[in-house]
Amino acid sequence: MDEMTPNVRTAAVRADGLSRRYGATRALDEVDLTLERGITGLLGPNGAGKTTLLSILATVNEPDAGRVSVFGLDPREAAERVEIRRRLGYLPQELGYHRHFTVAGFVDYVAILKEITDRRRRAEEVARVLAAIGLEARARTRIRALSGGMRQRLGIAQALLGHPELLILDEPTAGLDPEQRLRFRELLSGLPGDPVVVLSTHQADDIAAICPQVIVLLQGRVRFAGTPSELAATAAGRVWAADQRDDRAHLSWRGGDNRWRHIGDYPPTGAEPVTPTVEDGYLLLSHAAGAR
Amino acid sequence: MTATGGGPAVRGTGAAAPAGTGDRSRVTARHRAGRLRTVLGLARVEASLLVRSLLVLAGLLAGGAVVWVIFGSVEPLWWNAAWRIGFGQLVLGMAVLVAAQLAAGRARRDSMADLYASFPATACTRTVAHLAGLVGAAPASLVLIGATAVVVQVRGPIGAPSITVLAGGLLLVIAAGAAGIAIGTRFPHPLAGVLGALVLFLSSATSHLGSGGGIWLLPWEWTQDQLGSLPGPLAGYPPAGAHVLELAGIAVLAGIVALTVTAGRARARGGLATAGILALVVICLAGAMQLRPIPTAELNHLVREAADPASVQRCTTASHVRYCLYPGFGRDLPSVEAPVSGVLAHLPARPDQPLTLRQVLSLYLPDSTLTHGHPERQVSQWQAQMQRAPGNAATASAIYLPVGWWPAAGGRLADAHFDVALAAAEWAARIPHQATGNPNGPVFLPCVPLDQAREAIAIWLAILATRPPAGELQDGLGGLGTGRGFQGVEVRNTMVPTWAYPGWGASYITSAGAPQTTAAGYLLASAMLRLPEQKAARVLKSAWPTWLNWHTTDAQLAAALGIRMPSVPAPPAPFRTPRPGVTFVQPGSGPQNPLCTA
Repeated sequence: MDEMTPNVRTAAVRADGLSRRYGATRALDEVDLTLERGITGLLGPNGAGKTTLLSILATVNEPDAGRVSVFGLDPREAAERVEIRRRLGYLPQELGYHRHFTVAGFVDYVAILKEITDRRRRAEEVARVLAAIGLEARARTRIRALSGGMRQRLGIAQALLGHPELLILDEPTAGLDPEQRLRFRELLSGLPGDPVVVLSTHQADDIAAICPQVIVLLQGRVRFAGTPSELAATAAGRVWAADQRDDRAHLSWRGGDNRWRHIGDYPPTGAEPVTPTVEDGYLLLSHAAGAR
Repeated sequence: MTATGGGPAVRGTGAAAPAGTGDRSRVTARHRAGRLRTVLGLARVEASLLVRSLLVLAGLLAGGAVVWVIFGSVEPLWWNAAWRIGFGQLVLGMAVLVAAQLAAGRARRDSMADLYASFPATACTRTVAHLAGLVGAAPASLVLIGATAVVVQVRGPIGAPSITVLAGGLLLVIAAGAAGIAIGTRFPHPLAGVLGALVLFLSSATSHLGSGGGIWLLPWEWTQDQLGSLPGPLAGYPPAGAHVLELAGIAVLAGIVALTVTAGRARARGGLATAGILALVVICLAGAMQLRPIPTAELNHLVREAADPASVQRCTTASHVRYCLYPGFGRDLPSVEAPVSGVLAHLPARPDQPLTLRQVLSLYLPDSTLTHGHPERQVSQWQAQMQRAPGNAATASAIYLPVGWWPAAGGRLADAHFDVALAAAEWAARIPHQATGNPNGPVFLPCVPLDQAREAIAIWLAILATRPPAGELQDGLGGLGTGRGFQGVEVRNTMVPTWAYPGWGASYITSAGAPQTTAAGYLLASAMLRLPEQKAARVLKSAWPTWLNWHTTDAQLAAALGIRMPSVPAPPAPFRTPRPGVTFVQPGSGPQNPLCTA
C-alpha cells in the first residue's frame, strides 16, 4: 500500500449523478453507484450505457454531469487521475491490436505504458500474465496470427498487468470458448489482493458463477444493484414451466427438455412454478424497463 | 457494491479517503519521476521498432540506390558528393516520415485509443517518447552516410567531406521523422504519412522552380546547384551551417506541433507555443542567413579561376604534352594522360603544334543561385571575364576537360578515354576546329572532314590507343548499319551519315568546334584495324604529310593500304532521325555544316 492508500474504510469506487449524452442519445442518466472490493457484474442489453459507464470509471471519458471518486481520488484532477490509472486494469469492449507486435512485445509495451519500467520486474509481469491466461507458449507469435479468442485473452492479460486494484473488463468473455470461459472465471476468482473488479457481460451465467454483486443497467439507469440471488429473487413467482406456449407471458421459450419456460405475471394453464435464475431476473427487469 | 438509492447499503471496504495537500504533492513528484522512466522505456521500444522497420530499411536501400546512381555520373568531388549524399538522406527521410507517422498514429488506427487513454502514460508522454525514439532512425542514416562515404572514398575523391553537410543529412532524417510524428498524432490514417512524404519529395523535386538563395530553404535541394562544376569548395555554397540550423528548427517545431496536439494542460500548451515561436524565429534566422549572397571575394576568385586557369593550375609536361589541372585534381593526371600517350605511341610522326590538356570550368554565372544578391553590373562583368575563358575558343591544339565530368572508373571512364584519345588523334591528324555559328547560340555546326583520309586515320589511332569494344563502336552508326534509321548532317547539299563515337556528347571534354565524325571515316578505320598494325603504320609513315592533307581522300588511303573501300549505306528518304547536338535541316533549306579544310 502506498501513500494514497486509504485510512478510512469507505466505498472503493463511487459515482454520483453520472450523466452522459451522445448527441440526442442519453447514454447515462444520473447514475449513482458504489463499488466495493470483489467482483461486480454489470448486466445490460446493448446500448444500455454499460460501456459508457465503464469508460468513465476507467477515466477514459468524462461525464457531462456528476462525479466519480476512485479510491478517494478525483479523476478531474490530472495528478489524481494518473494515480487512478496506476491502479487500473482496463479491457475496453472493442479492442484492436497492433497486429505486427508479438504477444510478449505487446504486453511488454503496455507494461511500460503502465509505468512498469524496471526491466526485470516487467519481464516477470509479462510472463506472469501470459501464463495466467494460457498464452505463454505464444509469447513470440505475432498478434495477427492469433485467433479471435486468443486476442481476447491477450486483452485480459494486459489488463492484469501490475496487479491492478481496479479491474474493469468490458465483455471479456466475448469470443471465448466454454473452456476458456471457465478458466477465465477461475482466474478472476483467484486474483490476489482482493481488487475491485467490474465485469460487463451479456452472460448471466458468468455473473451467477463468479459475481457476489451485480448491477443491472437499463436505458442509462441503474435498475438493480444487489447479489445475484437477489436479482434472481426479483423473478420469484413469475417463472413457470409448461407444455404449451402462452401468449400472455412477457417472454417464453422452449428449453432442451421440450418444455416451455414462461416469464410473466400470470401462470399459463397447467404450468408449474420453477426456481428463477439470475437470467430470469434480468430478463424480467429488462422487460419491465422496456414497457416503461 | 451498491447503487445508491437502488440497492443494498454500502459495506465497509478498503477504499481511499480523498488525498490531502501533502499527498497530492507526493503524487505529483511520483508522477514526474514515473513519466521520465516511462518516456525512456517507450523511447527505447520505439527506437528499436524504427531500427527494425522494413520501411526504414527500404528507405535506406532506396537512398543508397539514389546516391549510387548520382555518383555514377559525377566525379567524386567531396564538396559535391557530401551534398548528394544528403539527397539519399532525403529519400531515407521520406521512409522515416512514413514510419514515424504510422507509429504515432498506431493507437488510434488500431482502435486502441480508449485503452491507451486508461494508462498512466499520457498521450503527451507517448509523443515525447515517439520523438525521443527517432534516435532509432539515426543508425540507418549513419549507415547510409558511412556506406556512401566509403564509396566516394574508394573512388578516390578530391577534397574533404564537410561534416556540417553530412550532419545536415542526419538532421534532415530526424526532422522528417518529427514531421511524421506531428502528422501521425493528428492524422492516424497511413495515407497521411504517404502524403507527407510526397510533400517532402516534391519540395525538393521542384527546386528548379526556385531561384537565388531560395533553393537552400528547401529541405534538400539537388537539381539547381553547380557544386559539381566547382574546382573546390565555395564558401556559402551551400550555406551548410545555416541549413543545419534550419533543419534543427524544423525538427523542433514539428516536435512542438506534435506535443501541442497531445498536450492536455493549458499551461503546457502555453509553454509549447512559446517554444514554437522560438523555433520559428530560429528557422527565419537560418533562412535569412541562407539567402545571403555569396561573398564577392569568393566569386571574384572563382571567376578568376575560370577565366584565367593558368594562374592557379599546376601543369605537368609528359611526352611534350602539357597537362594543366586545378590544385587537388592531380589524381586525374594518370587517367587523362593514358589515352594521349596511347595515341602518341602509334603516331608515325609528331605534329609541330604543341598539345595542351587543360581543365576548364563549365560554370553558368547568370545562374542566380550563384550570383544572387549581387548587382547586375557586377554579374555582367564576371560574365564578360568568363567569356575570355580558354575553353570558349575553338582550337585543335588544346583539349579542354570540364571540371566535374571526368569519371572515376567503369564504362564511363572508357568512354572518356576514347573521347580524349580521339581529340588527341584529331590534333595529330591536323583536323581543324572549324564551325559555323556560336557554341552557345541556337545554331552551331561543326566542320565535317568529309571524304578525308585523315579522319579515318584519327579514328584508327584513337581505337588503337584505347581498344574499346567493337560492338560499342558499331553502335555509333545508329540505325545506319541495320537500315532501321539514319543520323547525319548536311554538307554541300549532301546528307552525310555520321558516327557517334563512345563518349560522344557526354561532356568529358568541351567539344566546341570539334569536327563531326562521319560514318565513312569510321568504316574505313574499321577496315584498317583488320590489317596488321605494322602494315598500316608503314603505309602511313611512308607518306604521312600526304595523308594529313585534307585533299587526300578515303579512296586513296584504301588503295594505298590495299583494302576495299567500305560502302556507306545511303540515307533513306525522307530521313528524320536528328541526334542531340546535331542541328537537323532539310537539304538545301538551312545552314549547312562546313567542310573541314586547312
